[in-house]
Order: sequence, then structure tokens, then C-alpha cells
Amino acid sequence: MSHPSELISAYLDGELHGGELKSLLDHLSGCGRCSAEMEDIQRVRAAVRSLPVLELPEGVVPEAESELVPLHRNRGVWFGAAAAVVALVIAVAALVTPPPDQISVDELTSRFGARATLDPAFNPAKVVVPVEVSE
Amino acid sequence: MESIPLTWEEVARVYGRKIYNFAYRLTGNPDDAHDLVQEVLLRVRRGLANYQPGSFEGWLWRITRNAFLDDVRRKKRRPTAPMPDEVDRWDLASADSADTEYDRISLGDDIQKALLELPIDFREAVVLCDVVGLSYEEIAAAVAVPIGTVRSRIHRGRKMLKDLLS
Repeated sequence: MSHPSELISAYLDGELHGGELKSLLDHLSGCGRCSAEMEDIQRVRAAVRSLPVLELPEGVVPEAESELVPLHRNRGVWFGAAAAVVALVIAVAALVTPPPDQISVDELTSRFGARATLDPAFNPAKVVVPVEVSE
Repeated sequence: MESIPLTWEEVARVYGRKIYNFAYRLTGNPDDAHDLVQEVLLRVRRGLANYQPGSFEGWLWRITRNAFLDDVRRKKRRPTAPMPDEVDRWDLASADSADTEYDRISLGDDIQKALLELPIDFREAVVLCDVVGLSYEEIAAAVAVPIGTVRSRIHRGRKMLKDLLS
């Protein structure tokens, strides 16, 4: 004998219709096991439904749109703060660092020439000095 | 066509308490339920602009259960501290001073504990049916499973609860 156990909850929830409903009712009239199971399920169902309805605690629903933040609210804040600090450091460094001294081609040639004289290992051929070409 | 709340504030006003009860019964923890409600409202606010007319409740509860499952997955990857002792020690004796939230919650303590013992799929089905009050069709839409699966999960979930409570 097969027992249509899974139909019992659907029946109690008013979710059983037509042939399935008739079939279950016919079965219940002659099956003590399923009738007992239905009583057990009915008790459990009533117990869960009797759980107190909890009121929404204050503060759960934000008052203002700006207070709606995701669960990982801290992550974005810290990334933003770090980016702002880096940008500030770069801006300050750019303001306080003096521009490089201007150097003329003649002065550059003179410096390399002096080093070539004192340091035999120095290879001035590796240095490209821009030379003005007159037309 | 079903009329839908136009703003997330209206969703919060109309459905906030239901979402909180769903979240609390699934998590067993007021703080987690609090975070979950806020996460759901955030997703609702983002999603309302692209909402396609249809079953608003199906859409809302799909968002809610997805937010819950995402939270469960995140906690599996990064376990956090266990629930505080006082939450575990709610008992019926404290029901005399029924003014506080905890005392009211304690009335259903045994059932709540048993619910938390259920595998998530079964807990979710039972809570959506018996706490939120959705029909099998609405649960099927929210969970994206056939109605037959909903029927089976609810019944098996209740049978597990019966064993846990007896």
C-alpha cells in the first residue's frame, strides 16, 4: 500500500484540488498511519504559525536615502579614503618640488668633456647631445 | 496589471515587517535580520528602475532569498563569531517580563531552534509558507523551482521539525 504522505501538507495548506484531493481523502479514511501523520503535521504547522510576529525594530528602515548602505559598507569608504590620501600627497609633492635647473648645450658638453678627460672608462659616445643645425 | 509600490520607502513600509520576520526566522539572529532587511531594501532601490510588471511579490521574495543566500555563502567563506550567549539562552521562564524584544522572541524559542536545524532549502520553504504566508505558487516563483518541489520541501521540512521537537 502506497502512502501519499507528501499530499498531507498540501491538503492542510489548501493547495490540493481535484483528483489529488479526492484520492488523499479516500486514503485517509482507511489509513491510520497517514491519519496520525496528518495530526502530527497539523500540530507542527500550527506551532510555526503561532510564532510571534516581530515588529520591525527602529533604525532598520533608514530615514533618509543616504543611510541606505550595502552590507559591505566599510569597503568602499576605505578605498575612497585611501585614493584621496594618495591624490593629496601627489598634489602637495608637485607644489613643493622646485623645477629642474635649466642647462645649456654648451654647459652639458663642457661637463661631459671634463669627465672624459678624468675618467678613461667613460664613453661619451653613449651620450647623445642635441646639436643645433644651422641651415 | 498588479500595482506596485513606487519607491523603496513604500516597499519598506508595506513589506518591511514581513521581510524582517522572514530574515529573523531564517537566521535566528536580530543583527543578521537587521542587515538582511537593509540589504534587501538596497537591492529593491536599485532594481525598481528596471522592474518589469509581473508578480511584484515574487520579485521581492526572490530578491530577499537571494540576499539571504548570498549572506550564507559569504559567511561560509569568512566565518564570524558565534551568536552571543544570551541569544542561545532565551528560555520560557523569561516570558514573564514580556516587554522586551528578546522576551517576546523567547516564546517560540524551541521552534526557532528547530527551524535553524533544518537544511536551508527546507527552512526557507517552511518559513515562506508558515511565517510569510505565501502560496505554493508564490514560493515556486520566488525560489525558482516547480510547485511539486515546493510541496515536497514544505512537507519534509515539517516532518523534520516534528522529529526535532518531539
